[in-house]
Amino acid sequence: MKPAEVSTPSDREVLVKRSFDAPVNLVWQAYTDPALMRRWLTAMPGWSMPVCEMATHVGGKYRWRWRDNENGQEFGFTGEMLEVALHSKIVHTQIYDPGDLGGSMGGEPSIITVTFNETNGITNVATSIKYASQADRDAAFSTGMTDGMEMSYKQLDGVLAG
Amino acid sequence: MYMNRLDQAFAALADPTRRGIVVHLARGEASVSDLVGLFSLTQPTISSHLKVLESAGLISRSRVAQLRPCKLETEQLKAVTDWLEKVQEIWEGNYKRLDALLAELKQAQKEERKK
Repeated sequence: MKPAEVSTPSDREVLVKRSFDAPVNLVWQAYTDPALMRRWLTAMPGWSMPVCEMATHVGGKYRWRWRDNENGQEFGFTGEMLEVALHSKIVHTQIYDPGDLGGSMGGEPSIITVTFNETNGITNVATSIKYASQADRDAAFSTGMTDGMEMSYKQLDGVLAG
Repeated sequence: MYMNRLDQAFAALADPTRRGIVVHLARGEASVSDLVGLFSLTQPTISSHLKVLESAGLISRSRVAQLRPCKLETEQLKAVTDWLEKVQEIWEGNYKRLDALLAELKQAQKEERKK
């Protein structure tokens, strides 16, 4: 499958697209079953996901926490499910939990929308991260974790090639 | 300290005109009037964009020549791209593990159906 495609539809939003060679019911399972999530959502090499609680229904809460196996430092995300449409869409809030790693991603929760779309056994997943404000998005950069993605890589590749 | 400068660079590059200026400077030095002509913007607008890029460490401006040509500071730009690459590696690393997990689930489903 082609590597993740990143774009910035607005100054508060980051969109990541990726296709997976599997039917949507399996992709959905991997995105919502904590036992399966912990196997792939491990953030970085050398990290593990000691906490992965997930209530996939509207109003349900989730709590994810990652740990650096080397020094034991942790950080995480928490939030609430706003919309859940089986095999098609999950919308949830997201608040950064600095743990003992520190950093900040601004005060207001961001809104994450994940959509799933299957064509001929290939499932296209689009993840939109909408920050409460541009300042919050900028704060996410300095923390440098998964959501802190701003620019299109292609644009920067172009800059360097120029 | 380092991170603050990197933040500034990201904020500076979030603007399409400033990205355009950076792309242009990657081809070589340019003066303010070159850029004014190229982007069809007023001189004060271009100058304020340049100020943002300069304070983010992405460009420098000659103090000697009268036209004060702008030059790309590739080291700072590399810090930005290195960081982005690292972040993309994190996403892609997760997705690759997901690829492997899905292949496993698909296989299990197939075997389940055979039974």
